Amino acid sequence: MAHEVEVNIPRPARRRRQGWATAALLAPAYGWLLLAVFLPLCAMLFFSFLKTSPLPGRPLFYTVNNYLAFINRPYLFDVAWTSIRIGLWTTGLCAVIGLPAALALARATSGRSKHVLFLLIILPFWTNGLVRVFSWTMVLREGGLLDYALHLVIPGAPAFSLLYSFPAIIIGLVHAYLPYMILTCYLSASAIEDGYVEAARSLGARTPVVFWKILLPLSLPGLISGSILIFVPVIGSFMEPRILGGRIGVTMGTVIEDQFTAAFNWPLGAALSFIMLAVVLVIFAASARVLRAGGALQ
Amino acid sequence: MTYQITRRRFTAALGGAAIAGAWARPGFADAKEIIVLNWKGYGTDEAFALKAFADKTGITVKHDYFNSEPEMLTKLRTNPGAYDVVLINSARIQQAESEGLIDPIDFAKVPNSAGLAPALKNHANLTVDGKAYGLSWLWGMNSLTVRKGIAADSWSIFTDPKYAGRLALFDDAVTEIGIGALLTGQDINDPKDLKAIVDKLKAMKPNVKLTWSSEDEWNKAFAANAFDISVYWSGAVVRSIHVSKLPAEFIIPKEGAIGWLDSLAVPTSSTKKDDALKFIDYMIDPTFYLTWANESGAPASANQAAMAKLPADDLNRQIHKEDYLSKLQFMSALPDDRRQAFNDAWEEVKAFYAK
Amino acid sequence: MIALGRAFLAATLVFLYLPIAVMVAMAFNASPLYTLPLEPTFHWFGVLAQNGPLLAATSNSLVLALATAVIATAVGTLASLALNRRSFRGQSLLKVLLLPPIAIPWLITGTAMLLFFFWTGIGRGLHAMLIGHVALAIPYVVLIVGAGMQNLRAELEEAAMSLGSTPLHAFFAITLPLLAPSIVAALLFAFAVSLDQFVVSYFLATPGVSTLPVEIYTSIRKGFTPEINAISAIFLGVSAVLVLVFAQLSNLGGNRDRR
Repeated sequence: MAHEVEVNIPRPARRRRQGWATAALLAPAYGWLLLAVFLPLCAMLFFSFLKTSPLPGRPLFYTVNNYLAFINRPYLFDVAWTSIRIGLWTTGLCAVIGLPAALALARATSGRSKHVLFLLIILPFWTNGLVRVFSWTMVLREGGLLDYALHLVIPGAPAFSLLYSFPAIIIGLVHAYLPYMILTCYLSASAIEDGYVEAARSLGARTPVVFWKILLPLSLPGLISGSILIFVPVIGSFMEPRILGGRIGVTMGTVIEDQFTAAFNWPLGAALSFIMLAVVLVIFAASARVLRAGGALQ
Repeated sequence: MTYQITRRRFTAALGGAAIAGAWARPGFADAKEIIVLNWKGYGTDEAFALKAFADKTGITVKHDYFNSEPEMLTKLRTNPGAYDVVLINSARIQQAESEGLIDPIDFAKVPNSAGLAPALKNHANLTVDGKAYGLSWLWGMNSLTVRKGIAADSWSIFTDPKYAGRLALFDDAVTEIGIGALLTGQDINDPKDLKAIVDKLKAMKPNVKLTWSSEDEWNKAFAANAFDISVYWSGAVVRSIHVSKLPAEFIIPKEGAIGWLDSLAVPTSSTKKDDALKFIDYMIDPTFYLTWANESGAPASANQAAMAKLPADDLNRQIHKEDYLSKLQFMSALPDDRRQAFNDAWEEVKAFYAK
Repeated sequence: MIALGRAFLAATLVFLYLPIAVMVAMAFNASPLYTLPLEPTFHWFGVLAQNGPLLAATSNSLVLALATAVIATAVGTLASLALNRRSFRGQSLLKVLLLPPIAIPWLITGTAMLLFFFWTGIGRGLHAMLIGHVALAIPYVVLIVGAGMQNLRAELEEAAMSLGSTPLHAFFAITLPLLAPSIVAALLFAFAVSLDQFVVSYFLATPGVSTLPVEIYTSIRKGFTPEINAISAIFLGVSAVLVLVFAQLSNLGGNRDRR
């Protein structure tokens, strides 16, 4: 039988086979990414060193000026800070809501109801993002659902509107990204063996201790994947800030969008995206180091 | 066609007959079909018009849409042969011509062009070396629009402390720089003192509630009482009052307003130029315009014969008054560096609003 | 604790469904400007039934999302196995390479794809959209399946192999069933990524062939009407029923019933 042959292969040959197997596993995904994302982005990287957007029949001029955008346009620091604040608030709130929800889903429900609840959490995701954001405007605006409900309770209350404010942006983004966090935390949390919790309880540990010493550390891989899946796209988001933020909603995402849609300044827009990508990578490298130092990651 | 080959190969790869069925789309080889590139919901895609035009000529019209002018030019450049008619703001005609994207208009094949207002037919923006590359179709204004009952005759209401947090600006660099230019007494297309304009716009910060970028956004926010004062498009305000019954009032301030002229052009790469011109001819047809203006609300037609068909007390005619033309500064072609400077200035102003 | 946990879960669901409920309610509201109070009507469903392009776009979206989910999940799960189960040189670089498709705004990726596909002759159309959607969904699949894999003990697989099972057999007998919840989750998310993807579709759509998000996106200039809410409501209702039936029949979302 095949497995006997397997066991008897000499080690270097076996390692080589392993290498081929690894490559075969990776090739489809990375080949696809190469064709559809990395090569096109290389073209964008090239554009980011041009003076103006490339047009057929016009000579190209090279410059690094686009990467000095933050020096030439100091207001971008404020914009970048707004984006990072939005990213931190959204990721933080998603963690604070998502982890307990995931733990509750994994540990306080069972059988069919667990499956149904799991699917109910993903289902809102299957609606269009733009429609969801517009629905939030109807909840948050003056004369909207919250305002309407408030006046049913307190008839004489002044008009109430959360729309066009920082909290409105955060609400919209938390809503859009919360399922990612619940999902990744749930995948971690559902693998926690009951034995650990029971052992701790029999040793007299109370709920907060069980949470901090067992549930949180064991859910950490999910918490980290969830945070990556949220923080990274949120700082480049433009739809929610633009529609829910009003005057406040100027972020790296909206500035980059403007360069591509309204200003036709692809080089600047591309350079800004690559700067943003670099900042994201630096943040992750730094936090990975902190987590590793803390012994949280093996 | 390469499209069909790749499509077939692709569906074969998927290997599902059901999927192939969903993919199959008739009409690609049909000679009697033209494709129009335009803003969505801007005249050329009115259902009644497409039906009437198909009944008359046997030509079906399909659409592709753009959401910004640079995007429209990108689509033209990267899809040679895909489009037969394209809407181009007259301020962009010379740029499109210089890139060899569009053909001169053969007026002999557009009988209705006889009715075009002479000033618009050969407008300086549309012509290169005496030849018109766009057929003037509609004109309109970006001007002050307020909630009914608010008295205003000047753009300075944008900084009036009485309206703190009640102003909605159009998220468009050319328009906003234009308003700043009108307020500082400069030429909207070539302001000498951009700094003064930026300062003027920054001074509006306490009043600014939001910046809007679509008619839909304007209507919904105005209906929800999010703002009282704004700059808005003349054609859209007719629709807002006429169709949506919103209490809006359109005002040409004493400093003047911003005018624009939209044209229809035929891409050089089109393979159905005669059919394209037939459609353009239909688009300036007075009967088409009358129905469009009455049913949906439209900007002013460049065809005098079409405007003459509207009753004198028509809302559209009241808003697009002939004598306004003298108060307008028309958007015209901007050199690349100036357009860039406008965009940078507006980006800086927006970042200042957000701070 | 159990009761508290359930209450928290319920509150989270209320938050998640608040705008969804508004979205559905507005499908039955007469006002095209979405103003309250609600005036009930079925008018928009009638309008929708007449809107051929919107219905065609919806069916395109569905087919595209389905194909994307299957391909991206298959391809992404394989890569995730290699990244989390094996060690090789350049591993961390490959992990980092998953971030650009998520971090670079889709607008830039979309523009880049449009130009690149134009140059290379891939062109535009549903096939191009599929290439783009799968690429954007792959990183999500790899990360989600990876999160599930962190908790699987490699020893199980090794134990099976030391008992004489081939790696392939060990994978199908041990790893795959344990990974099933993550894979199903990845499938559902890849479906959602494609369904919600408007920027890339928008750039890669050919005239006359579009998707639901593209129709919605291009509608906002003129104004989208509650027709969009109507189609979204129908879509959501049908998916809810399908998904719940699926949940009744299968054992997804974790199989550790302890009570």
